[in-house]
Parts: sequence; C-alpha cells; structure tokens
Amino acid sequence: MKGVGWTMIDILLFVVLPYLAIFICVFGSIYRIRTAPLTYSSLSSQFLENKGLLWGSLPWHLGIILILLAHVVAFLLPGFWQSLMSNFSILLAVEAIGLGLSVLCVLGLVVLGIRRLTSSKLQSVTSTMDLVVTLLLLLQVGLGAAIAVHHRWGASWCSGTTTPYVWSIITFQPDISHITDLPVLVKAHIIGAWMFLFIIPFSRLIHMFAVPIEYLVRPPQNVVWTNPRKWATEEDAFAADETRRHFVRAFCGIAFGGFLLGVGTLRNIFLFFFGPRLSRKEETEMMELRLSRLESTVDQRKLELERQAANYILVCQFSELSAETGKYFIDYKMQPAIAFKGKDGLPLLISAKCTHLGCTVGNNVDNQGRILCPCHVSYFDIETGQPNAEAPAKAPLPHIGWVIMDERGKILARRNADGRTEGVIAAENQGSARVYIAKSQEAQA
Amino acid sequence: MIRLGTAINTIADFLRERFPVEKLNYHSMVEKKEVPIHRMSWGYYTGGLTMFFFMMQVITGLFLLFYYQPTVSDAHVSVEYINKHVAGGALIRNMHAWSSSCMIFFAMVHLLTAFAMKSFVKPREITWIAGVLLLFITFTFGFTGYLLPWNQIAVNATKVGLQSVEYVGQYLPGQLADVPRILRETFQGESSVGQSTLGRFYALHVVILPFALAGLLGLHLLSVQLHGMSQGVDQPAKRSEKFMSIFVFKDLTLWATVFLILFVLALCVPFESFLPFPLLSPFNALGSTPAGIKPEWYFYFVYYPLELLPFWVILVASLVVVGILFFTPWIFKGTSRRTLGFIALLAAAYLVIMTVFGEQIYHFFKH
Repeated sequence: MKGVGWTMIDILLFVVLPYLAIFICVFGSIYRIRTAPLTYSSLSSQFLENKGLLWGSLPWHLGIILILLAHVVAFLLPGFWQSLMSNFSILLAVEAIGLGLSVLCVLGLVVLGIRRLTSSKLQSVTSTMDLVVTLLLLLQVGLGAAIAVHHRWGASWCSGTTTPYVWSIITFQPDISHITDLPVLVKAHIIGAWMFLFIIPFSRLIHMFAVPIEYLVRPPQNVVWTNPRKWATEEDAFAADETRRHFVRAFCGIAFGGFLLGVGTLRNIFLFFFGPRLSRKEETEMMELRLSRLESTVDQRKLELERQAANYILVCQFSELSAETGKYFIDYKMQPAIAFKGKDGLPLLISAKCTHLGCTVGNNVDNQGRILCPCHVSYFDIETGQPNAEAPAKAPLPHIGWVIMDERGKILARRNADGRTEGVIAAENQGSARVYIAKSQEAQA
Repeated sequence: MIRLGTAINTIADFLRERFPVEKLNYHSMVEKKEVPIHRMSWGYYTGGLTMFFFMMQVITGLFLLFYYQPTVSDAHVSVEYINKHVAGGALIRNMHAWSSSCMIFFAMVHLLTAFAMKSFVKPREITWIAGVLLLFITFTFGFTGYLLPWNQIAVNATKVGLQSVEYVGQYLPGQLADVPRILRETFQGESSVGQSTLGRFYALHVVILPFALAGLLGLHLLSVQLHGMSQGVDQPAKRSEKFMSIFVFKDLTLWATVFLILFVLALCVPFESFLPFPLLSPFNALGSTPAGIKPEWYFYFVYYPLELLPFWVILVASLVVVGILFFTPWIFKGTSRRTLGFIALLAAAYLVIMTVFGEQIYHFFKH
C-alpha cells in the first residue's frame, strides 16, 4: 500500500488519523448513547436566550446542512456529480451557491459565538468543549471558503483528488497519492474534517445523530409558561405563531424558487438583451434573407405604382399560358387573379379573390374545369366563373378583359370586360405575343 | 329641473353603493377581507390565474418588443431571428404563445365560475361588466397578435376574419349596409391586408389594448377588494380564511406551480408544432391561400358553427349572447345558484365540445 514519496507525517495525518477518527466516532458515539442517553443532544439554550439563537443557529444550520449534503453527494455518487459538473453553468451555480452558503455559516457562527461569550445566562451552561467546537467550526468553514476563493472549481477537481482518496479510505485500500500534491489549504481542510469525526462523541456535535426531522412535518406545538398572567395571552400567541409559521414557509418557498429561477435564467436574460453575435456565415445568410424580403416588398410597391401610371400591365408571355395550371398576377385593384389558356386557345383571365371571404383561389384546374378555394371549399368553373351549388360562395368569380400585343406594342387581339373578343393571333406571332390587362377595360368593368 | 335632480341623485346613489368610499382603506379592503371556504372555493382562484397569465404576457411581450419589427418585409425575418439566434428567444416567444392561450382559457373559466357563483348581483354589477369587457379585450389581443408574425396562416386568417365583418353589411338597411365595410377598411387601412393593417394591429396589440386592459383591470380589482368575495353558494359558508396572508399565499403558490408548468411546456413543446409548416412560411401575396386556414382554437366555438350554419343565425345568436352577458346582473337577479350552475355547465359543455370536436362535427355534416 505504500507509494513513492509518502512521508511519515502524511501517513499519520491522512491514513492513521482517519481510521482512528472513524473508530472513535462510531464506537465512542455508541458508548455515549448507551451510557448517557440524556446528553445525546445539543442541550438547548432557547429558553435562556432566543433572539441571538434565531439569527445565529438558523443561518448556520441552513448553510452547513446544504454544504455537507453537497460534500456527501460528491463523495458517494462521483459519476453523477462529475456529469453534473461538466456543465459549466451548473458548476458556476454550485460554486457560487457554495461560497454564499459558507459566508452564511460564518455569519451564523460569529453570532452564536458572540452569544455564548456575552450572555450571562448562557455562560453558566457553556462548557469549554462548546467553545472549542465553535472555534474549530469557524476554522473549518473559513478554510472551505478560502479554498473556494483561492483554488476555484473545487466541485469539479474533487473528482480526481479527494473523491478517490475518500473512496480508498472507505474501501480499506488507503491511497494518498491523489492528495499529496494538493495545496496546504486543502490538506488542512481534510485534516479538519477527520478531527471533527474524532471529537463528535466528546462534544455537542453528537446531536447530528438525533436530528428531529419529524419536527418539519408534525403539527406545531407551543410551549406555554405555567403562569396565569401568560395564559391570558395564550390564544393570541398561538394565532400569531400560526400566521408566522405560514408566512415563513411561504416566504422560504418563494425566495428559494425565485433564487433558483434567478440563478438559472440570469445569464440567459442578460444574453437576451445583449443580443446574438452571429458568425460571418449566419450574418451573411441573415442579410441575404432580409434583402430578398425587402426586394419582394419593393416589387410589390412597384406593382402598385405601375397600376397608378401604366395603361397596360404585362401578365405574361402568350406562350407561357397553360390550360391546367394558371399563372397568378395582380390586377388593377391590387387583387390576385389567374391567367389560363381557354378552350378557344385564347387567354382566359379570372379573378382569384374568392367571393365568399376573400381567400386566394388555387390555380390548378381539376378534370371538371374547376379551381378550388381551399378556405371553405368552393369550386369555381373557370369558363363561367360560377361556384358549385353546395359552395359557401354564391357569386361567380368575374372574368377580366385582356389585350394581346406584339413586341412593338401593336395590338393583335383584345377581349373586353363584357366578353366580346376582337382580332386573332396569327401562328407566326404566337411566340412573341404578350398578354396585358388594360386600364381602360378596368374602367369599363 | 326636479326630474333632473332626482336623476342625478339616482346615479349618485347607484355609484355610492358600488364604490363605498368609507371602505376605501387598507384595513377593510385587505386586512378584514375573508375568503369563504366551500365546494366552489376553487372558483376564487381563476381570476387570479387569468391575471397571472396577463402579467406573463406583459413581461414576455416586453422582451419580444426588443427584436420584433412591424413591417411586412421584416416582420417574419425578425420573428425567425428571435427564434433562431436570440438567447432564450424561442422560449420567450413560445411562453408568450402558450400563455396567451392559457389567459383566454382561464378568462372563460373565470366567467363561467363567476356566473355559476352568482358573483354579479348588487353591488357587483360593475365588476361583472368590467369583466365582460376584459374578456372581449382579451379576445382582441388574440386576434391582433395572431397577425404579427406575418406568416401564411396569420395573414390569411386575418383576411377571413376581417372579411366576415363586412358580411354583416348585407343584413343592414340602406346607408347602414356600408358601415361594416367602412369599419373593416378602417381596421385594415388599405384595400387588402398589408403594411397599414400590420401597423394598426401592432399599435393595438402593444399599446392601446394593454392600456385599456390595465385600466379596466384596475377597476375590476378595486371593486373586488371593495366588496369582498361573493358568498358563492346558496347556503352561506360556515368557514372562511383570511385573505391576507393565507389566501394570498395560496394564490402565490398556485402561480408558482403554474409558472413551472408553463415554463416546462414552453421549453418542450413549440406552440407552432400543431400547425403544418406551409402555414408558417412567410406570407406570399402572389399565390393561392394554403389549405387548412383556420383561426386559433379559442375561436372554434364561433368558427365551426359559422361554417355550418347560415351567417345570419350566428349573427343573431352572437348578438343575443353578448346582450345576455352585459345584462346578466339584471336578467339573472332572482335565479338560484343551482340553476346558474346548470346553465354554466351547459355553456361549458358547448364550448368544450365545439373546441375539441368541432372539426369532426363539421366533417360529419358537410361530407
């Protein structure tokens, strides 16, 4: 079991002392509980002095219980602990909470110490051991806080150092090579820990084996003086006590929840307002997207302007027309419309604004020559514009007149809003002919 | 002159009873207040929950305000930016969406329980009417907020919604027939749903409606505290608990629990996951309306009947219901809470069935 470079002192402090301390702690405590069961508590001094106790004992116990709990979890479930600490946010939170709790402990201890030293009532029940314990605790907690400050991220580095050391002690294969190179502060903290195990049976610390956990859930009890003068106010005292108990419980819950929420979300809330810092690639993509949306808005605006000024608006090339799939365009009223090729081979322009509630009608013609409005299922015949009988739409979709011009702007054919068609398109012109809607026809309609 | 004097006196008496100034102090509004304990006590929490979700809306809404841009070219991109790039942005937006639905849900539950508990009779008429107005404002919040992401379903559903306003015109005589169209164009701001509409809805959603709601909520809460909790059941409850601090802390505990649920829900389930993607793509003015356009679930109870029945039936029914809601304190003055509870239960059943099975009912009758 002996490794290279272990000094006699190391073995004495980190192997012999632990086993001695554990032995004394276990058997000493059992002996004391057996022989002097009534001393197996912290000898309450609440009746002698109450206010200082509240502001000392409460923060101290709150802090130390949570800190000890974290130590126990770190040592007993190393895998779980390590996986938790590999998340930086959690590590940061644990370190911060740990340091905060140790400050709470120190404050509590100082209050408790001052109380022991200054209250004349307490002086009579204070033993030397009590003062020694207070001093040792102050030292140990101070060491812990100092480690948290000077040798940061202990919650993380413990998994390679102190945790395997503690396991080697528990499994009776002592191996101190994990801790021999640790800083003096940490070593002192470890020695302090074993010292505490050592003195448990000889001090008030033994009360930790008699923690009255059931007090948390039992119905509240009130100690009342056997004094007629105090009986009179007994009921008020109970009511006030009940209210305060309720308040403290709710306040603790809300404070703790708010604290957790704050710790968990503070960074994200800050980052939310700080704003994202995009990579060059993301930035470029974002810009391109922005630009394309802006361009489509610009196109839309241009269309609107064009409709104010131009006498003719291009729908599409004549050759682009199809009988099955219509081409969307925007008419003079800035409403959607569709261009098809009709049965006569000429353009067929029909409004696409459903006469029911104004949805945009689809552009695919089904086998019965109808187009569908998907909102409330109305089928419109493209030849007549009429909706089917069961459709919620009752009015037909209006047809729109058109003009066909060649490249030079010469009008080849036109259909007016009333449906009359003039002119024909010669076969040789079909490639270059373009379909327009005309402002004059809009005025007629 | 004597008549005018009595009229003023009547109004003054009315107000004096609704706003008893002598009770306008901390002692009688908070310290002395008691909350009855009976089988309907849970109803006292529904209003608080609605207010909690409103507060969530204000907070998350303020967050979103930092990044959202209300223009037709940028609205959709900015929403995408919040979702993809801003730290916690998707969560905040998702909480805003979930919480909006929850707010509307609990506002409706609150209305029904308050009705069943007869919390509207003298001197609580003003509380009730303020509450009904608050409900309508909440619905308007939902309608205006829906447009802001400027995606296919948002713009198209808004188009349909606004167009149905115009539909009312056909039942109005003469000059009045034009009023709904003028009304729609006022809200729309231009011939089709576009930039002007977005600007108007944005102003309504983030400034006008919140101020209106906050003001009315102040009136609502003031009268609740002035008159205390209504007794809620026909036989006055034997037990009660202190409002301060027992009930307040119970309320806070509930809020904390609900916040946790909302937070986890928003973290795990994107609100938009209930819609097919094409509906969430940016609005395209040149193209067919995609299939499956329908309003948010909280409009189903009027949307599906609208699809099934003639428009005038829905119009008349809505007017009657709105009228009943506003005049409830006088119509149901003498009705027992048992009967009121039964009516509330029927209304709740209708709302639940239409919301959950509306689509099936629609298909059953239409195909």
